[in-house]
Amino acid sequence: MIHVENLTKEFEDLRRGSMMAVDRVNFHVQPGEIFGLLGPNGAGKTTCLRILSTVLKPTSGCAVVAGYNVATHAAEVRSQIGFMSGNTGIYDRMTAWEMVEYYGRLYGIEEEALQQRLERIFETLQMNDIRDLLGSKMSTGMKQKVSIARTVVHDPPVLIFDEPTSGLDVLVARAVLQAIEGLREQGKCIIFSTHIMREVEKLCDRVAVIHRGQILASGTIEELESQYDESDMEELFFDLISRYESANQQHTPPGSDTSMALAALKERSQQKEAE
Amino acid sequence: MSWKNIKLILAREIRDQLRDRRTLFMVAILPLLLYPAMGIGMVQMTVLFTEQPRTVVFLNSDQLPDDPPLIDEEVNRIHFTWFDSTPDADTLKVITDQTPTDTVDEEQNEFVKEVLAEAEKLREPATQRQQTNERKLRANQKVNLLTSQIDEAEAERQKEGTLEQRRSELKTQIVEWKSQRAELDELVVQWENELEKLDERIAGLLAECQFQVLVVVADGFAEKIETVNAQLRERQLGARADDYYVGLGFFTNKADEKSLIAFNRVNRAIKNWGEKILNDRLAAADLPQTIVDPVNTTTVDVAQDEEISANLWSKLFPALLVIMAVTGAFYPAVDVAAGEKERGTMETLLICPATRSEIVIGKFLTVMAFSVCTALLNLISMGLTGKYMASIVGSRSLSQIGDLSLPGFDSLIWVFILLIPLAALFSALCLALATFARSSKEGQYYLTPLLMVTLGLTVVTLSPGVELEPFYSVMPVVGPALLLKALLSSPGDPELMVYAIPVLVTSVGYSLLALWWAIDQFASEDVLFREAERFELGLWIRHILRDKDETPSFTEAGFCYVLIMLVSFASLKYVTGSADQQVAAADASEAEQVAAIYRIMKLQMTYLIVAVACPAMFMGLLLTRSPRKTFRLYWPKLKYIAAALLLPLMCHPLVSELMANMQWFFRQLPDHFQETMAGFQHASIAVWFTWMVMAVTPAICEEVAFRGFILSGFSESRRFWLAIVLSSLTFGVVHMIPQQVFYATLLGIPLGVLAIRSNSLLPPIIFHLVFNSISVVGMRFSEKVDLTRVPDLLMWEEKGAIRYGWGTLAITAIIVALLMRWLIVSGGPLGGGRKAESISSPEVPAGELTS
Repeated sequence: MIHVENLTKEFEDLRRGSMMAVDRVNFHVQPGEIFGLLGPNGAGKTTCLRILSTVLKPTSGCAVVAGYNVATHAAEVRSQIGFMSGNTGIYDRMTAWEMVEYYGRLYGIEEEALQQRLERIFETLQMNDIRDLLGSKMSTGMKQKVSIARTVVHDPPVLIFDEPTSGLDVLVARAVLQAIEGLREQGKCIIFSTHIMREVEKLCDRVAVIHRGQILASGTIEELESQYDESDMEELFFDLISRYESANQQHTPPGSDTSMALAALKERSQQKEAE
Repeated sequence: MSWKNIKLILAREIRDQLRDRRTLFMVAILPLLLYPAMGIGMVQMTVLFTEQPRTVVFLNSDQLPDDPPLIDEEVNRIHFTWFDSTPDADTLKVITDQTPTDTVDEEQNEFVKEVLAEAEKLREPATQRQQTNERKLRANQKVNLLTSQIDEAEAERQKEGTLEQRRSELKTQIVEWKSQRAELDELVVQWENELEKLDERIAGLLAECQFQVLVVVADGFAEKIETVNAQLRERQLGARADDYYVGLGFFTNKADEKSLIAFNRVNRAIKNWGEKILNDRLAAADLPQTIVDPVNTTTVDVAQDEEISANLWSKLFPALLVIMAVTGAFYPAVDVAAGEKERGTMETLLICPATRSEIVIGKFLTVMAFSVCTALLNLISMGLTGKYMASIVGSRSLSQIGDLSLPGFDSLIWVFILLIPLAALFSALCLALATFARSSKEGQYYLTPLLMVTLGLTVVTLSPGVELEPFYSVMPVVGPALLLKALLSSPGDPELMVYAIPVLVTSVGYSLLALWWAIDQFASEDVLFREAERFELGLWIRHILRDKDETPSFTEAGFCYVLIMLVSFASLKYVTGSADQQVAAADASEAEQVAAIYRIMKLQMTYLIVAVACPAMFMGLLLTRSPRKTFRLYWPKLKYIAAALLLPLMCHPLVSELMANMQWFFRQLPDHFQETMAGFQHASIAVWFTWMVMAVTPAICEEVAFRGFILSGFSESRRFWLAIVLSSLTFGVVHMIPQQVFYATLLGIPLGVLAIRSNSLLPPIIFHLVFNSISVVGMRFSEKVDLTRVPDLLMWEEKGAIRYGWGTLAITAIIVALLMRWLIVSGGPLGGGRKAESISSPEVPAGELTS
């Protein structure tokens, strides 16, 4: 369902000049599978998923979603995916019902089918009590529910979740994860990005660790654990990144954000060795 | 493009805006409240200003003649007969030194006493000033008399045939008169100093007074009037040696508005009173009244009431329409574009199946709807308030403005028709700017300049001298506003319908351009996902110098153009100002004029080098990695050189005929300008020098800037047609004179195509050089060529200029078309292949060009 090959995105940056936000990334996701994109902040997860959702255009490389190339058939791709991220807010001056209904109409769902679908979604997500509540009056959890409803309103075969649990309390986060799990059972093809290990371990069938725009490792969790001989996912993640950083150390200028982060990483690994 | 999506987005945006209280307030509530509130305010103001009578003090009022009476002592007013309208008499309270202070009104008595005490302090300096002034005026009269006597005597003395004895007599006489005059002059100076001191003193005293105007009646004023009257009665008209006197002296501070109003009233009344005295005298002397006003003009005002009101509305409506259309677009635009980014819903919208164009058009229509509504509501509210105000206040105070009845129905239809393109233009512009902004606040920063420019254009349309003419009709904003102004002031004028088409067509064109820009903004990742970066000047400069590209960026090219315009503006004074006057000076000798022309030409050359070539060259060297690539310093293929030689030869007849036939379209250039231009053709200027200034320098300097740095920068996104058109526009606008702007923009197209196709700066330079050389040669040698033998079909002569016939035009047009076609089509899409290695993006921008 999702095929990504040598996907690259370059940005101009005032401070650093040209930088690679996504650097020759490859991965594939099958239907009925949750693919986790794991990486620290600024690793390129969001950029990568934005390219998949056709909001950004790749500098080079190719991404095919549900049989359509994101660069050439953007509109078709958009109709086949549901996308949810921290940046896809909901409208303040629209009620929950109006919001989801509006998107349903934009996806071209027939009016009758749409109403039935809305009823069902509002039922499953237990949103009937906020049906006529304006976006501005909702709590973060309610908004997140509306976002999920908006994401799935057209029953897309491909779903992309970019850190869907960030900023949520445990209860809401759990509900969101359950909803995503439910979607897998419906046979959807799901990409899920996060920097939280627990979520990956709980949810994902396969994982790719991404850092500085590059995929450092990918496979099922078991595969990764056996490959790197590390049973704790968090340790594994940390090792991968610090190994990458020390290999590329000479490239980072002293005093920059990165070198400071690196120093902190080193310190931590030394502490660990001492233990 | 799916209308269904556009409709969905439009409906949502409108509902969203209607749920926003701020927008509703700006669009609907404000106009409905504003004008009635302004009306109430105006009524209150008029009440406040008219109710308060001002005080005038007359000193020595017993010296006023009794017949006709100026002051009505009983009511303490100036007699109402002397005012144009009776109620005006009540606006002036008169206090004289005879005003009784023993009336029943205690407060009044106190006031009169106070005022009189204040006035009394002024009596001494005022009288003194009066006398000194009188003395001075008399002395001046005497001086004038002496001067003319001296001149006469001098003339007689110089005349041949005057006897020697008479001459010496005259000489003694002249010497005596001169010494008298010197004495008087000295006295005048002395008196003037005195007057200055007195004035200061009076000003100080007046500032503390409670009254607005002081009138000091001269001693013996009544007697003097009576004397003249008596003389008239007895026909003793010889005695006029000492007939000069000042009867009344006014003391007031005109800088103070209250005093000014009071002074004008008193002055007017006293003028009328004086006229009455004069008329009485004329009657007594049995003279016709026309003796004082031999011309006796009358004015017939044929303006009907509707016309006067049409005039008022024709000034108010267009201005208001423009301002309200822009403010009405302003807030919704910021909300639907920047606001969407700010509230984090932009990405939600971008991932819906609607295309970017559909989103933009939906949003654009929303903004436009609000812009139209705001403007209409404002106009309706203003019109109705005006009408209502007129009906309650009555005709009295508004009679000067005219009847406020609204314009006719067909005029109102025009208001609506012209509002649409205006609103569309502003909506698209606002939307594009607001899309660029990261937040609502930033959006407002960007839109403020737009508002300022619009206000500037509105002022232009409001100026009384500015009327609809061909050139204005194609200007954005100004065109529709002026057409509306004309339509409202003379509805149903069939001549105006001629303008309706160009105005509407160009307005729609501008709106589409702006909309295209808005869509383009919306499709740009840099714009949609601009990070809120910390901006530091040092960091930014380092970034520019460090991360240079081979060729300049779009922004750098734009900046280069702005720089050129700024330097041009700064040097405007030197290039045109002083030198023009020297040429225009009629009394300057031939040699002086030639020298001045040389100076102007040298300045012109310096200007091109300093203001046009230098900014581009420095920026090219400083900001790009490859100045060679930027300025296209490559050797072109021979065929392009050949094209560059042939094209201008073929273009020149077309352009010169086009310009000759477009004379009506442009405003006439100012005379001094034309004189300067004509000066360049002056026979005594060396031909090679003219050629250097008018052909070689511009060819090199302008091409380096416009086909070098600027075209390379605009080509950054590899949209070559856009780059060519933009560089042509910048190239045109820098010429400043409308005529030149027009044809320079036109010529920019082949120049740009040549530059990009040949990837060399040499062909455009050759084109430019050849083209300008033809102009120089044509200017200098047209008179020496005998064209009578050439058939008119090819060319003929008119007022010393060569005109081309249809034959020439047809041939050249075909050749130009073929050459351009060859340049554009042959060898694949423009710029294709040259930078092929860098095209790795999936976009195929070069393909658009050939379509």
